[in-house]
Amino acid sequence: MNSRTIKAAAVAAIGFGALTGASAARAQIITGAGASFPAPLYQRWAQAYKQATGQQINYQSIGSSGGVKNITARAVDFGASDGPMTASEMQNAPGVLHIPMVAGAVVLAYNVRGVPEHIKLTGPVIADIYLGAITRWNDPRITALNPGVNFPAANIVPAFRSDGSGTTNIFTNYLSQVSPAFRERVGVGKAVKFPKGIGGKGNESVAALVRQTPGAIGYVELAYAENNKLSYADVQNRKGNFIRPTIAATTTAAEAARLPSDFRLIITNTPAAQGYPIVGYTWILVRRDTKPGVKKFLQWALDEGQKMAAPSGYAPLPANVQKRALAVVNSLQ
Amino acid sequence: MAVSTRTDLHLARRRTTNFVMLGFCVLASIVALVMLGLVLYFLASQGLKHISPRLFTRLPNNIDIKQGGIAHSIFGTLTLLGIASLISLPLGILGGIYQVEARGRFAFAVRFLTDVLNGIPSIVIGIFVYAAYVYPLSQRNPGSGFSGYAGGLALGIMMIPLVMRTTEEILRLVPFSLREASLGLGATRWRTMWSIVLPVARGGVITGIMLALARVAGETAPLLFTILGNEYFPTKQANVLGAKVTVPAMNTAIDALPLRIFNYAVGPNLEQHDIAWAAALILIAMILIFSIAARYATRGGVLEEH
Repeated sequence: MNSRTIKAAAVAAIGFGALTGASAARAQIITGAGASFPAPLYQRWAQAYKQATGQQINYQSIGSSGGVKNITARAVDFGASDGPMTASEMQNAPGVLHIPMVAGAVVLAYNVRGVPEHIKLTGPVIADIYLGAITRWNDPRITALNPGVNFPAANIVPAFRSDGSGTTNIFTNYLSQVSPAFRERVGVGKAVKFPKGIGGKGNESVAALVRQTPGAIGYVELAYAENNKLSYADVQNRKGNFIRPTIAATTTAAEAARLPSDFRLIITNTPAAQGYPIVGYTWILVRRDTKPGVKKFLQWALDEGQKMAAPSGYAPLPANVQKRALAVVNSLQ
Repeated sequence: MAVSTRTDLHLARRRTTNFVMLGFCVLASIVALVMLGLVLYFLASQGLKHISPRLFTRLPNNIDIKQGGIAHSIFGTLTLLGIASLISLPLGILGGIYQVEARGRFAFAVRFLTDVLNGIPSIVIGIFVYAAYVYPLSQRNPGSGFSGYAGGLALGIMMIPLVMRTTEEILRLVPFSLREASLGLGATRWRTMWSIVLPVARGGVITGIMLALARVAGETAPLLFTILGNEYFPTKQANVLGAKVTVPAMNTAIDALPLRIFNYAVGPNLEQHDIAWAAALILIAMILIFSIAARYATRGGVLEEH
């Protein structure tokens, strides 16, 4: 801890006079901002990277839309998003590359008194909960999936993301595949209009909403559910198996997808028998002419950093994806 | 007899009205005080137990949140207020003097537009600074737009109308006979303003400045678009009088107390909530200490704000 302790008084004393008179060597801190989905991991990476190399990486969790906007505006050294940039967004940001960093599972976390962990849900049921067609926890369609579980007659309060969010993108992409009604009425996107429920900013807020609201259900990254000791559901995949969201089930789903050369692909609703269906890659967005420090950090994250993924609740990249991502990073100027 | 009864009735009605209205006034004052008391009590009861020395000496620790501090946020808020003051105090005070001294359409227009600026929501000022400062700077030097300067600029813009209007109000309270005496003794207008009017109004002007500082110190919205936030204490090597020293860097994303409170308060992690409570208390305490210090340093002024 000693190295992190600052002598605030001394620093403050130098303070202003020095600031104005000093000849400016640019601050060597690297700034990134974007997705909240991988933020806990990125911040751990930043801390470990600082210890290993002395380089400071400042990552701020402001949502995927903010990450895309700020890398487009060149206001940050790297952005982060868990929805790939759209074609029109790419046009506004020439020379921005997607580097996949890890894969993660979006889980349905819930807070219902007396209901055990890991209830079973299917895609269409989740879609109807968010559409407002299923309003109570003891709805026959929920109880039929979970024989032996005693559900209360409590109202279901769906929690969603109010900010532009890659997590929302993954979630709505999945629901639109399994529910035509959802595709028609809500659709796919980083920011969509849910007919019902309460909104929160960032994965942080949705997790907090679920924890504080009796009867709530919300979609968050696995790590957020784990860190906050929230119960989360097993979800039925395309092959009909109920899959518990785990690192292994996320990796299985990720390995089943073939990523295109620019890595921009949503991989929900996996065909793999043991894969969890609501899974997505999360990308760091960099300019082709990025700073050398960013390139070094990405090389480290794709190599050493991958070992920290699983303990933090994220699936490391499948070996072939990791190799390809590293090749792209090595080709940066 | 009839007249006397009517007068009595009249008197009784006036007394009743007086009693009722006075009651409302007292009640309103009590409600306001209770609100303030409740906020302070709530803040103190939640925040005090989480205040610890590490908050003032350490940086956030994202692996073990309990071990982290907010030293850089405290420093960031102080710096932002400093930059905002550098921008707004000269403009605000000079503008205030102009409003008092000048007559005519232009002065009226300035006063009107100042009020308009005062009414602009702070988030709009944040977006303005993003478009006018952060974005253009990022085009020339990628990754450099978010900065302490941008944040200070946003807060400074917010402070200008506040300082200008209070300065003007206070200067208007200085008795005109003082100016007449000064001018009558042959002093020029600027000498009258500088040596007579401003010293008399000093206490009130300082109070106005403190109110403006207190108002912007807690602003979060403009900071979202201008300083971004930082997990570290950005520093740089600089050449001060020939010696290489490490100084705080302002030309990069920095952190500030309101932003840290905002981020930690919506966080799912209870340890972050604890730090947010403590940070809120520290912010209030800082403003209080400022106000008292400013009052103490400038005691003896003749006019206080009414």
